[in-house]
Amino acid sequence: MNGGLTKHLNIIDYTLSSLWRRRARNASVLIVFAGVIFLVASFQFVTEALTETALDSLRTAPEITIQRLSAGRQTEVPLDYGEQVASIHGVREVVPRIWGYYFDEVTGANLTVIGVDLERMPLGEKLNLTLAEGEVPEPGASGWVLVGRSIKRIVESKGTAYLSLFRPDLSQASYAITGVFDAVTDVLTNDLIVMDIGDARDLFHISPAAATDLCVYVANLEEVPNIARKIAAALPDARVLTRSQISQTYQVVFGWRSGFASVCLLTALAAFVIFAWDKASGLSPEERREITILKILGWETSDILAVRFWEGALVAGGAFIAGCTGAYIHVAYFDASLFRSVMVGWSVIHPSLRLVPSLQVSTLLLIFCFTVLPYMAATVIPAWRSAIVPTDSALSGM
Amino acid sequence: MSPVSDKVLRRPLHVLVLLLACLAAVHAVLYSHYRHRLAEYEARSDLRQIATAALGLSDLCIATEARYTRHPAASDAVVPFMDHPGAIEHFPTGSFWAPPIPGGIREVGK
Repeated sequence: MNGGLTKHLNIIDYTLSSLWRRRARNASVLIVFAGVIFLVASFQFVTEALTETALDSLRTAPEITIQRLSAGRQTEVPLDYGEQVASIHGVREVVPRIWGYYFDEVTGANLTVIGVDLERMPLGEKLNLTLAEGEVPEPGASGWVLVGRSIKRIVESKGTAYLSLFRPDLSQASYAITGVFDAVTDVLTNDLIVMDIGDARDLFHISPAAATDLCVYVANLEEVPNIARKIAAALPDARVLTRSQISQTYQVVFGWRSGFASVCLLTALAAFVIFAWDKASGLSPEERREITILKILGWETSDILAVRFWEGALVAGGAFIAGCTGAYIHVAYFDASLFRSVMVGWSVIHPSLRLVPSLQVSTLLLIFCFTVLPYMAATVIPAWRSAIVPTDSALSGM
Repeated sequence: MSPVSDKVLRRPLHVLVLLLACLAAVHAVLYSHYRHRLAEYEARSDLRQIATAALGLSDLCIATEARYTRHPAASDAVVPFMDHPGAIEHFPTGSFWAPPIPGGIREVGK
């Protein structure tokens, strides 16, 4: 066998024995380090899985959405705006939509109510495929709702077959539940109540000449930015959102700068680096004696540095593998339950996510760079200091 | 077992190799689970896209406690502070969801 390789295998052998001799100390470092990597990797897996889900699911969002602002708040859009937009060359269709929030006082849940004309929406005729129970009523019917699974559970808990909601004047409106969305679409539809646009208008008391927003579909997707600019110029009080802007939002909305969570994780990492530095820099009399004996036996400084390198690499590598494996299991099997309280907050309704963690090399490399490299950097100087212990000074302490 | 082979098997390096082999087996199982979950996810992806297109959805339903975390793509960055003059952002999910990117959600052309 190659001499250099044999030497390194022997050094690894020696390093493993050395790690085992000080197993309590090394195990404590490994457990704390694996815990930090577990948190960082879990956070990264969750945010990437959510971003992927958003980008994949929302690629069929309306090409342009028009909202109207008044006094800095979103307000109703006059249907006249739709006629103006439809006259712009390249616009295929403009579909008004009514939507809003409904607070259920009994459960404390915030529900999202959407009223659309399914006949005018793209793929509206295929909406039946997304239902686990029931079906979409015939066009023109009213008094029906399609609900997400959580809404279905709320209605069942009240012991009624109908969904009853209150209008702004506190008069009651009741709707027959004709369909329940499949669990596969939970991440989009869990809190949704979909109804006929006329019923939604009646529920929210919105004027027949207005809508909440307008969905705009264009003939040529290349023209979306130009048409969006023309709409913004024609309607100065409108907010014009394009599909690409929605995608951009979801590329950063769970990002590292997402406040509190990442600050906590990075603080934990910084604390660990300080801990690792402290552990590695404090050369115990036993270690000093060991190095002295090795030097007397003919070991060179480079050999001792190699031992220190392998010690760091084995601890960091073991912690990285344990942390990442734990993070995958946490996200894939337990729906990232440790982060759930931060992700959903006080939400009464939240979906079962069934996340698929991203296992790309770039993700693992990013986690590696954020965790293992700082550790190696924090331990390299103490390792060098321990390797250059002068034999005579160490001997005097024996 | 002869003393020589016994000594060889007791080398720490061999224990490490054995440990790595066990880890490789565990990861093979996890990876096959990942491939299965990914295939299942991709196979049902069209249903989510139909729901998005047919209802004109713009956001994921993960946090429903506040407007700006239920519909971050369709909200302004200032929405958390809009409830009343001097309002402060107080919903827990506001710490997990970053505000929309500067310029990402703005009126086109302005």
